[in-house]
Amino acid sequence: MTPVYICCGAGGVGKTTSSAGLALAQARAGARVVVLTIDPARRLADALGVRVGNEPSPVLLPPELEAKGSLHALMLDPKETFDRVVSRFAPTPEARDRIYKNHIYQHASANLAGSQEYMAMERLYELAREDHWDCVVLDTPPTHHALDFLAAPDRMANLMDEGVMRWIVLPASRGGWRMLERGSEVLASVLERMVGNSTIADIAEFFTAFQALWDGFRERSIEVRTLLSAPSTKFLLVTTPAPAARAEARLFVEQLRTHRQPLAGFLVNRCLVAPPNPGAPSFGPDPGLAGWAESVAELTALPERQRARVEVQEANIAELVRGTTAPVWRIPDLGSAVHDLGGIIRISGYVGAVVPEWGTGLGGTS
Amino acid sequence: MPLPPGSAVDALLARRVLVVTGKGGVGKTSVSLALGVLAARRGMRTLVCETSGADNVCGRFGLTSGGYAVTQLAPDLYSMSIRPEAAIEEYLLRMLRFRKLYEMVFRNRVMAPFIDAVPGLHDLVQLGKVFDLERERPAGLVGRRRAWDLLVIDAPATGHGISMLTAPRGMMRLTRAGPFHDNARDVAALIEDPARTAIVLVSLPEELPVSETTELYGRLGNFQAQVACVVLNAVEAGRLPPTYPSLRPALAAGANPAGMDALALADALLRRVNAQDHARASLARLGPPVLDLPDVDAPVLGPTQLDRLADALGGEAEATR
Repeated sequence: MTPVYICCGAGGVGKTTSSAGLALAQARAGARVVVLTIDPARRLADALGVRVGNEPSPVLLPPELEAKGSLHALMLDPKETFDRVVSRFAPTPEARDRIYKNHIYQHASANLAGSQEYMAMERLYELAREDHWDCVVLDTPPTHHALDFLAAPDRMANLMDEGVMRWIVLPASRGGWRMLERGSEVLASVLERMVGNSTIADIAEFFTAFQALWDGFRERSIEVRTLLSAPSTKFLLVTTPAPAARAEARLFVEQLRTHRQPLAGFLVNRCLVAPPNPGAPSFGPDPGLAGWAESVAELTALPERQRARVEVQEANIAELVRGTTAPVWRIPDLGSAVHDLGGIIRISGYVGAVVPEWGTGLGGTS
Repeated sequence: MPLPPGSAVDALLARRVLVVTGKGGVGKTSVSLALGVLAARRGMRTLVCETSGADNVCGRFGLTSGGYAVTQLAPDLYSMSIRPEAAIEEYLLRMLRFRKLYEMVFRNRVMAPFIDAVPGLHDLVQLGKVFDLERERPAGLVGRRRAWDLLVIDAPATGHGISMLTAPRGMMRLTRAGPFHDNARDVAALIEDPARTAIVLVSLPEELPVSETTELYGRLGNFQAQVACVVLNAVEAGRLPPTYPSLRPALAAGANPAGMDALALADALLRRVNAQDHARASLARLGPPVLDLPDVDAPVLGPTQLDRLADALGGEAEATR
């Protein structure tokens, strides 16, 4: 199985740029890498040279980088992925078109709860199965519960559960809501009262159309689960040193432990760096220029203020990684320079190779 | 220079519902609370509603969260967490009227995952709760027509925020007719009414958040007209005197190593301040007024820091000091 690195983290911590930086670091070390990113800001897509599209396109790396491997990137298109899944699992073109034309499918396939996560997993699986990659990096959608998306295939499977099918589909196909279970007539009348007849018909039609695809979905969700729990699939936590981010990050570490998922490392973005030279700043005698004294007063306070902030930051990081042995990559606050290829190259310099033997042919076999 | 904030904020507080959204991590909750603090100071009975399912607000005031129940934070300032599950339960219970029936129909192995998967249902039902709160009659409050003067919605981030605003229309298309459709239509009428509902976009004075805010504004479509202001959060004050750039060569000439460190930090600070001006200028091109909020150097913003932010929003920064 191709090694997979899944970058998780809350919104706003710089996950997309970090994922790109991590992927680039592996490419520089010799791996053929593909990074799958989900809904990034358009500027980042521009920086990577990725168009909004579901196929990997090569990122042009400057020659002076002397990258030994290669980097491809793609941006998830949930709707297109869903369409493709339907097309793949549909037994006949007629079955496929019936779903494409369904009212519910047209309005829901892109926003069906969890469908983005499901499609991300689906696309990840496809990439991991192609044999021209040494590793796949996934930039996950931001979730409140970091590992939520792991459950996406199961949730989709639950939704398509045979029980649900029988319950919702069969009565409609018999032209009525006569069902096997007790209370179902009550349910039918309640639902009809709430959403109206035509909606019930739409829903029934949706599930009926999907019935033909059900086996494909179920098998695939098992395969995706196998990929996710494989030892070659590792998780990285992207975070910032802010105390506000810590609780969420700790929760993630605990969740991974509960699920026995390996943690490959921490990427801590926007780290402050302590000024290197000790002692009090001095600037020579006051030449009597306007603003000199105010400037010196403010300048003198800056290193101390910075040191105090770094101290708080380090305490936060120590608390974050407590009880784990995973490496911590500190990425200094790069200001606004981080959102182009140059910024991603800088990040990649701080991350390094997660597998030292990339490019020796060993990477893909671990 | 930033606009004088007072007038834009006055217009904002004349609405019934404020929907606060923006990229993840920009400080939506803090801005929601600062708006709440300001409104409460002006004697408005204000309710700040979390929608993420988390209960982050009460902790900032040193209180235990009441969850779906309303908790008082300060005089005239209240909060609640509109958890989607609780809102759905309340909504369906009201429709069915009997808990037993509700449990039989919806809390079973078959229907529960189905209800979870209905596109936009969470968002719609959360807004449905906002709709109810807007109409709520005061219980035991003499001389008041409404229970709440202002509802501040701490909405989800960017893409999800848009899904929430468009959820009522989506449900109307999906269901086409029936009570569900009618409820969605009523909720849409409130959310799409510029006289009652305003949108507040929160951004940070950095390149990526600004470009995401610009993108978000573009994607808002018909809702653009309801964006009452863009809040630029965590703006660095920049305490160096204006003559500093011209003094820098002389300062560097006489500086010891620690002095050079200080100058490097000052350079970074100035770059940030310049980037801020740039950010503000490009946000101003969107149209709605841009309001600055100062960077508050505290890990979590509690009542003291929120008071400062409310000062800045109300244009009272100097007046009250």
